[in-house]
Amino acid sequence: MKKNILTKAATIAVALLTVSGLSACGSSKQDVALIDADGDGVADEPESISVMATTILTENNGHAEFCAEYERLTGIKLTIEKPEHNQYYEKVGITFAAEEPADVIELGSTYYPSYAAEGVLWDMTDAWEASDLKASGIAMEKYIEGMRTDGDVASDPEATQRIYGFPNQRGNGTITYVRKDWMDALGIDEPTNYDEFLEMLVAFKDIGNSEVEDAHGVSFKEKYAGQQIYPLTVAGLISTESPYEIYLREFYQDARPDIHYDKDKGMYIDGVLTQKMKDTLLRIEEAWNLGVIDPQAISNKTSTCRDKFQSGIVGCFNYWAGTWNRTLDKNLQQKDDTAVMIPLPSFDMEKEYYIERPAIAYVITNFCQHPEEVFENFILYSHDGGEGQLLFTHGVEDVHYTVDERAADGTITKATALPTMADSNTEFEKSFFDAALSITEFDDPFEIDERITNSLAMFDADSILYELPIMDSTVAEQLPDVETSKQQLLSNIVIEKMSVNDALALYASETERQRSIIYQTLNGDYDEASVEAEIASLVSD
Amino acid sequence: MVYKFSLTDPRYRGRSIFAIFNFIFMTLLMACMILPIIKVLSDSFNGDTVYGFNLWPSNPTVDGYVYILVKGGTEYLRAFGVSVYTTIVGTFIGLLLSAIGAYILIQKEMPGNKFFGYMFLFTMMFNAGTIPLFLVIRAIGLYNSLFAVIFPLSMNVYNLVLMRSFFEQLPRALFEAAEIDGCSPYGIFFRIVLPLSKAALASIGLFFAVAFWSEYVHYVIYISDTAKYNFQVKLRTLVIDDTFTFDGNYNASLNTVKNAAIIIAIIPFLFIYPFCQKYFMTGVTMGAVKE
Amino acid sequence: MSQPVQKGNYDHIIVKKPSAWVRMKKYAGFYLMFLPVVVVLFIFYYAPMYGITFAFTNYKPNGKAAQFVGLANFQKLFSDPTFWSSFKNTLIISSVNLVLATVTSVVVALLLNEIQRAMVKKVINTVLYLPHFLSWVVVASIFMLLLQPNGLLSQILYALHLIDATSLEQTDWLTQKNCWRIVFYVIDRWKEIGWGTVIYIAALAGISPDYYEAAEIDGANRWQQTLNITLPSISNTILVVFILNLARVLNIFESVFVLYNSAVYSVADVIGTYTYRVGLKPTVGLPNYGYSTTIGVFRSIVSLILVIITDNISKRVRGYGLV
Repeated sequence: MKKNILTKAATIAVALLTVSGLSACGSSKQDVALIDADGDGVADEPESISVMATTILTENNGHAEFCAEYERLTGIKLTIEKPEHNQYYEKVGITFAAEEPADVIELGSTYYPSYAAEGVLWDMTDAWEASDLKASGIAMEKYIEGMRTDGDVASDPEATQRIYGFPNQRGNGTITYVRKDWMDALGIDEPTNYDEFLEMLVAFKDIGNSEVEDAHGVSFKEKYAGQQIYPLTVAGLISTESPYEIYLREFYQDARPDIHYDKDKGMYIDGVLTQKMKDTLLRIEEAWNLGVIDPQAISNKTSTCRDKFQSGIVGCFNYWAGTWNRTLDKNLQQKDDTAVMIPLPSFDMEKEYYIERPAIAYVITNFCQHPEEVFENFILYSHDGGEGQLLFTHGVEDVHYTVDERAADGTITKATALPTMADSNTEFEKSFFDAALSITEFDDPFEIDERITNSLAMFDADSILYELPIMDSTVAEQLPDVETSKQQLLSNIVIEKMSVNDALALYASETERQRSIIYQTLNGDYDEASVEAEIASLVSD
Repeated sequence: MVYKFSLTDPRYRGRSIFAIFNFIFMTLLMACMILPIIKVLSDSFNGDTVYGFNLWPSNPTVDGYVYILVKGGTEYLRAFGVSVYTTIVGTFIGLLLSAIGAYILIQKEMPGNKFFGYMFLFTMMFNAGTIPLFLVIRAIGLYNSLFAVIFPLSMNVYNLVLMRSFFEQLPRALFEAAEIDGCSPYGIFFRIVLPLSKAALASIGLFFAVAFWSEYVHYVIYISDTAKYNFQVKLRTLVIDDTFTFDGNYNASLNTVKNAAIIIAIIPFLFIYPFCQKYFMTGVTMGAVKE
Repeated sequence: MSQPVQKGNYDHIIVKKPSAWVRMKKYAGFYLMFLPVVVVLFIFYYAPMYGITFAFTNYKPNGKAAQFVGLANFQKLFSDPTFWSSFKNTLIISSVNLVLATVTSVVVALLLNEIQRAMVKKVINTVLYLPHFLSWVVVASIFMLLLQPNGLLSQILYALHLIDATSLEQTDWLTQKNCWRIVFYVIDRWKEIGWGTVIYIAALAGISPDYYEAAEIDGANRWQQTLNITLPSISNTILVVFILNLARVLNIFESVFVLYNSAVYSVADVIGTYTYRVGLKPTVGLPNYGYSTTIGVFRSIVSLILVIITDNISKRVRGYGLV
């Protein structure tokens, strides 16, 4: 026994040491995936492309089949890594730290400009300008132009910015959903301004006392007996990332509580310290005191709000347009098949509108050996309005969808999604992008659920595309503290019952040091005294 | 010593009254513990999305479990398998490393003993974080291997020091006697120390098992192949990932599936714990030696 | 244990300790046995330690070399009032929590130990430790239901006439500054109380029944037995667990993260959540690993000081410490 253990222990130790010793030497850069076939120092075709993305089909829903189909169509080998969503950006950071990022990486709108500012992303502006896609005119250029960014905001905000990332699909955004059956029961029409909206919420408060009967002849009074009713639910009264004002649209209206360029003033300002934001705060305070906002708004998580809405006790909830409309509706119907939810149009495009977030970017890193070819064969290919886009939206024929009808030239004119490979009860949704959110004029052979198209159409008409957040490193360093104060501003008003003026004054004094640095950085020399005087007058009247 | 339960016999009265109060207290405590769990259990059998503290499913269904165990494809079952595998292997390696380390630390005469002690303790307070460990793991070729999860977690100083505090209470006379009998360090370790430390091994083994079972960050960071993720990673995705849409034609909502997964993750330890307790209760070291 | 007077007496009697070399040879087998442990420790703990130098750089995960910035990160840290507020909260929350955890777990373990029937004991014990297996996210969502306006807590307080109807309808207990910490302690105890007893129950199993038999003969009642036999027997374990928990007490993060919100920042923000907001997941920009490592180093040094102090107290009072 003694010898046996000894040998084992020694073997383990030696093995460990050997492994560590050997690999430490061999850990230099991994093999270059690209091969220079004709030896002229420039490879013509990338032999393989690696992709890291998170909002895509899951591995067991056919990564292998997707890659095989891609290789069949383009002759290029594709590898996809899809890290778990919650640790995605940590994982992206690590691959950069290890100096081995994938060729193509998906980056959300706060990370995309940050990485661009670090100078590690390939500038695709020229490639885009010269591309066939641009020439063809099928691309919705505003989304691609919306990706323009540069690292440090120069004093001239109109300075030429470059494109370092291509939108995978439109950014989309959130829209207000309301319970139509409640409105009907209470005899309320669609609100067309804030006052009517607030009146509607106040009326919703009493839905539990209504004697009106639903489609099954059950009165609302009976249905909601003993249940808490939430006229409006929301997770946080201000978002924790840009765009900050995305959820309570009817209250925020045209206020912009972030650091942005004010055209009238000709300088960058903190939008919290403006009359518009003050009006917003007064509206929120009023609604809160009327008891129409979910009293848990400060501690709610998004999932809590969804649960509340889906269990039928919420009148009004602002959430993603498109696919989520269908999902929320399905779940709501399951709980109460008489419930009807509709998206609400905006009141007035001048003042109150929905916000379309900047799109998620697909970037090519500077570590990539053949950026032009990757751009051509991966990014542009996925938006070609034809076979490539079909693959990147609906997946692989006979794996993810089945063809119902084909034109004489072979193009698919009608197709239906199949159940997912993993679960025969769930329909396959998308491979990389949502077809309904395509950034090209894509002739989609699929029929899309009405609930998705309806809410998207309304969102389209009633939304404004938001620009990317400012990404100056000095400014970024100051923002977490400002952010903390901003969150507290709202809770001071509703929980601590501070007056709007006092809460704003507190915010202004808490963020004074940061404000001074931020303004200095973005505006150069500015008239600090007059800015502060203006703030003082804002919080005092 | 057997105590009779009696309120009339003065010899037993005090203790019997105490036993009643103790039992009532424990029952209340259990109720507090179990109610929220019953809520999870009820939701796991409820096809409706519910918001509220209800303890009985309004729309009873087993579809949540069906989804996890059957319809979710092999995804969840495989993840469950990974969990079982790493928990068993990791607990074994962890116990071995801790027991050896603890055994070395009780050799007071051994030169370097104190240094080793501090060497362990230092790592409890100072650690370098994710990225350096990632680079090391990649350099030794463990990236994307389950051992990238197992090794860092099996070297657990907290458990090692606890183990040592148990070993220290073993009668030293036994070691000396064994040494005189010609037992090697290994002989003493395997024939005397381990058999006399069943309660310690059971409890610390449980600590390891639970730590391995509940781990998720190491998987996500040090493993790229999602097929090697454990059940906990899948569970977390279900619980906190807002992008996950459950859109099936089931009599179940995302909530149902979520709660079913939570219950499935608890079940193994419902059975493991009573098993460990056997050792807590029979592992009376000195009594065992005497008999 | 070691008593100074006696030790002094023995010092001149023992003529000579064997030299280190002789002892090392004697322990050769032990060193070999120890080797795998050292190897694992070095590869997975000491090799990555170079990362601590990030504290003196502006390291970001951008594929570029980190720039040395000297003590700038420390200066920034020490001049940030938010950090000091989070540091204060961490010390308060985690020390109260540590004391509560130790006391409740020992008491429950002792009470469990008094239960005679093995079956009952097993069932109770298993139920008590179940909440440990729920992740913090799940625990938070359950307690949000209990603490919401019109939730169970509000209704009980209302029934007892401790709050009025408006509070019943409006009070979200997780957003109340003056009771957030208490709520937090209760939730933390709910989750961990049973789990904390595991180690003490194992320690209790190690007490020889002989002691109790002897005490019984001496006429000691159960309470005296608990004070004179049970507690001293497990005091070593209690102390070790206490010091070990102290070493990582400043790491408190997830439990606070899922339960706090902007209304209670001033009483709930801890170093872990501060690091998360400022260093690891800022709302704009890349994670600042340089700065978050700086916070980590500061935290480690404070933990080290806490452990050294406790260890010294333990040495003075009981004669031995952790090492």
